[in-house]
Order: sequence, then structure tokens, then C-alpha cells
Amino acid sequence: MEHDEIEVLREGHPAWRLLRAGNAALVLSFLGQFFVVDNHGAVSSTELAAALDDQLHLLNLSAPDEPRYPRPAPDYLQDWAATESGWLRRFYPSGSDEVHYEATSDLEKAYAWVTGLRARTFVGTASRLETVFDLLRQIVHGAESDPEARLTELRRRRDKLDREIAAAEAGEVAVLDPTALRERYQQFAGTARELLSDFREVEENFRGLDRAARERIASWEGGKGELLAELVGNRADITASDQGRSFQAFYDLLLSQSRQEELSELLAGVQSLDDLHPDRRLRTIHHDWSDAAERTQRTVRQISEQLRRFLDDQMWLENRRVLDLVRSVEAAALASRESPPPVGLDVDVPGIEIALPLERPLYDARPAAEVDSLLDPEAEADVDISALFGQTFVDQARLADHIRTIVPPSSTVLLEDIVNFYPVEQGAAEIVGYLALTDDDLEVTLDETQETIIEYADSTGQRRARLPRVTVSRR
Amino acid sequence: MRTAQEQAVATAIIKLMRGVVYREADEDSWTLLERHAAPVRDHFAAIGVQVVVDDIEGYAYLRNADDEDTEEPLPRLVRRRSLTYNVSLLLVLLRKRLVEFEASGSEGKLVLTRDQMVDLLRLFLPDSSNEARVIDQVDTTIRKSAELGFLRQLPRQPGHWEVRRILKAYVDAQTLNDFAGKLTEYAGAHPGGDDD
Repeated sequence: MEHDEIEVLREGHPAWRLLRAGNAALVLSFLGQFFVVDNHGAVSSTELAAALDDQLHLLNLSAPDEPRYPRPAPDYLQDWAATESGWLRRFYPSGSDEVHYEATSDLEKAYAWVTGLRARTFVGTASRLETVFDLLRQIVHGAESDPEARLTELRRRRDKLDREIAAAEAGEVAVLDPTALRERYQQFAGTARELLSDFREVEENFRGLDRAARERIASWEGGKGELLAELVGNRADITASDQGRSFQAFYDLLLSQSRQEELSELLAGVQSLDDLHPDRRLRTIHHDWSDAAERTQRTVRQISEQLRRFLDDQMWLENRRVLDLVRSVEAAALASRESPPPVGLDVDVPGIEIALPLERPLYDARPAAEVDSLLDPEAEADVDISALFGQTFVDQARLADHIRTIVPPSSTVLLEDIVNFYPVEQGAAEIVGYLALTDDDLEVTLDETQETIIEYADSTGQRRARLPRVTVSRR
Repeated sequence: MRTAQEQAVATAIIKLMRGVVYREADEDSWTLLERHAAPVRDHFAAIGVQVVVDDIEGYAYLRNADDEDTEEPLPRLVRRRSLTYNVSLLLVLLRKRLVEFEASGSEGKLVLTRDQMVDLLRLFLPDSSNEARVIDQVDTTIRKSAELGFLRQLPRQPGHWEVRRILKAYVDAQTLNDFAGKLTEYAGAHPGGDDD
């Protein structure tokens, strides 16, 4: 690579920028664990922020007065998804009102590089040489179209097998020694994990293909016939690309019943070899592959469907025309900016209103209420005034103090935890009191998707309150 | 007594009359509509209204049927309304954002913050040193567009608005063309715009 090319990468490549970032340790440890190691797909911002919150809390615990990471979790996430960073992809999926985040392959690259820095106990080279031989054989024989040559190769392989069978029958079995086994296992583990991380890049490549196709269509200046030719060419683009075909082949291979079974058996076999100290996570790596491949497959399906819609002849022309018209609207609007024209769009009003006058109730005269505040002095004595004093008063200042005692500045705690320390004394009113806190330094948020159960006792006995998950943050 | 079938058809008809039916927001009505498409269409056809169902985008709405060929057109049932200049401008600019959003291959929905819409509109509003007034104006415009059903505030994210795809059906090339024509005419009659 040349000097300038490296310079550009150093300045511009998200992975390299991540390595240079001030809080690289936080980004890599958190996002790496969450997305790469735990193999998560796109997640909602609440879920990711909650996970980051826990992490930040742990990291800040050592110095609660001068936290290392003082900002709230959502802020960090937004930064990491900004165009200048590019370690997370931020989008609103259809069907959800919440921002979702997804790791980019650049994050994956940076993480892989950092984990690669950790010294390995030994580096196996022999098994790699075997793999190289194997690959070479596949290439050479795979490209061989002469039947004679193919037969020679097949016979050679049969002879080799025959010799092995004869040796086994004579009682000689060549066993790999533990080092050779460990070495092969190491290579397997590396490849298996790399495969998992490759999916993210595959997905990004698909998105790139899609974007390129759309750009080409959007900027098309030629005639309609050429356009159609271009459209037909593009339609096949994504699935017929090298990327598309390789991915499809992988997917078919993985999904075939016999392969699945073989993989399960082999992985179980590997786990039972004591000398290897196998990684337990790898036992089910094929499920992780399936998950990740399924995710990618879904993305690809979505992308091609959207692209097909975008390519739809009529819509393309309509979009074209809309853009032209918008341009002329913009120009006219600019020209008469200082005196806005009294004209507007004429649009249909969605919905048809039916107003039935007789559906409304007739005027109903209410009797005037009479108020007599003068009490008969004799009746006064019997009035039960306990109801006036019986209303509960919840001292919100006390509740706020509870929170300030438990929650360190700029961190977040579940309401349940606060109630564990300061049991509810005034029943439901007190819980509502927490929710209604309006102090400047405290923030109470409700998460409707999750549920909390708070138990407390009042005069009627043990009670349970069921409410959305409540978190309390302190600024 | 209504039969179950009649009940379903009637429900679908009423839902449509109330406004746009979205697959995403109201699965039940959408399924009813899909299942009983024919009687629903017949019902509206009788009064010169067309049911438009967009399967891909996932919305359905009513439109006046084009019956220009007939000697005596029916009175309009779907009302047309002239929007204010500011609302029109915002809708046009949002329409453009939708096209760009699709052309960039982005998936999911287009969500804009209030500030982004302020930025969109600011260029076209009269120069004003009163920043607060400009923002108030934009807020009013956003509210009106939301009332018309073209914007939807995200429930748990104040200040974030989804641009609903139905905008494409209502602000189509034809509508835009009429508006552009009127504007150009106006700009021609009031060059510079400072003279009144």
C-alpha cells in the first residue's frame, strides 16, 4: 500500500478512527461484547441503552464522584452512530416507532484486530499448510474438464483410501497427537468466528449494491428503452453478483438436513475431546451461523423487494416528475419569499365526514346548585370531619431524598431497587408520588414494553402493584 | 340482524370513511378490507367513489372516481381543500425528502425532527430577525400537516415525526403540477415580491 492511501484510511476509515478514538476501550468492549461476541442483530435503542447503562454504571463505580463516563447512555449511542463515527447503523425499521441500532462491519474489523493482539499460546502452521494444499487441489481439479484427468485424480484418492483401510485392518491407526489436534482446533475456532463476522460485511455489500443500483436509476438521463434495459439488468444484479451467489450457496449448504446433522455430530465429537479444552460457545456455533445467515437472508429479501418497487416503471417516472416539479416550486417560492403567495395545494381531505345533527343530545338545563355555608349550630357537633384529614399526603421531597441517597449522580436505577431500600409506606399514592417527581436533577422514565411488580403492605394486608418498568436517572 | 359477513363489510366501509386505513397501525381493519374487497368496492362504486388499496405501501384510502366521460358527473363526495401556503410548502418539501429517502435505499420509515423541518422551511420563509416567530410558524405548520394525517409524532419520542407514505398518494404529480403552475404565475406577477 502506498503512503497516501494509508493516510486516507487513517483519517477516513471508521475502523481506524475507532482505534484512535479517546473512548475506544468503552466502544470496543461494549459494542464488541454485545454485537460480536453475543451475536445480536438489530436491537431497539432502549434495549441497547439499558445494556450500556449497566456497563457505564459498573465502570463508573470505582469513582462515583468523578465518573469516567459521565454522559447518559443514549448520548453515547447517538455519537457512535453519527456519520463521523460510523460504528453503528441507526434506522427506523418499518413497523416500529423506535430507533434501532446495528453494528457495522467496520466495528467488527476494529474489534477483530484488537482481539488479534492478544498473544496466542502457540500458532499452528502445519494445519494451515494442509488447508492450502486442500484448497489448491480443489481449484485445480475443480477447473479440470478433461474426464481422463478427473478419473486419474479420483483413482489416486481411492488408492489412498484403500491403503488406509488396509492399515486399519492390520491394526495400525494413525492418530493425531494432541498438539496437532489443538492446532487444528485453533484454526477451526478462528475460521468459525470469522465466518460469523463476515455476515455483517456481506449484508453491507448487499446494501452497497442496492445503493449503487438506485443511484444509477435516479441519475439516469437516457431514453425509456435504454432505461428498461438498464432496469432488467439491475434486477438481476444483486442475486447474480458474486456476493449473491456465494451467499446463496452458503445458505443452501447450511440449511441442508444432512449437513446440519453432520455438523451437530462433529461439534459434539470435538467437545468430548478432553485434551482440547474446547470453547463451550463453539458447541452451538452452527446455530449462530444459521441465525446470522437468516438475518442476512432477510435483509437481502427486503432489499430486493424494495428495489423492485423502486424500479417499478411508473413509480420511477412519477418520482422523476415529482422532483422536477418540486424544483420549480422551490424556485418560485424563493422568488416570492418576501410576500408569500396566497395560494396552496389542493388536496383531497382524507376520510368522508358525516355529521348527523340529531345524534347530538338536546340542550339539557341543569338545576342551579344551591350553596348554603351557614351550618346550623346544633348540627355542627355531629359532623364527621375525619374524611377531611384522612387524605394521604405524600411528601415528594422525602421521595426525592430517597433517590438522591441511593442513586449517584449521572446514573440510573430501577424504581424497584429504591423501593427495596425504602419500603413503600403510603401504598399506591407513594408509588404514584415517585412517578410524578418533577425535580430538575431527577428524571423518571417509563418503559411500556417491560413490567415491574412492586410489593407493599397497607392496612388491608400485602399488596402488589403492576406497572411499566420505571427507571430513575439522576443528572 | 346483520350476518357476520354484512357486519364485516360494514365495518370495513366505516373504517375507510373515517380516513386512511394503515396495515401497520390497524391490522384488523386491513384484513377485513382484504377479505371483503369486492362488496366494499361495489358499495363505494355506487356513489362514485373509488377504493385505492396499495398493497406494497400498506395503506388504503378513498378517491373520487374519474367519471369525466359521463354526461352528468356525480357531485363530489370526497372534499377537496386548499391548504395554506406554508402547509403546502412543507408538504412539497417532505414529498421531495420521501423521494430522496427511497433513492438512497434506506429501509424502514423516514423520521424527521422538528429542527430538521425548521431547516427545510427556513430558506423559504421571509427573512426575520425574530427566530422565535419562525419556529412558532413551523410548529403550527407541522401541527396542521399532522392533523391532515401526513405527519405522525412518534409516541415516545417528542419532537420526532414520521413522514407517512400516504403523502405520496395525496401530493402526486398532478397536484404538484397545479401548485407549481399557480406559484409561477404569482411569481411572474409579483417580481421581487417587495412591491406590496
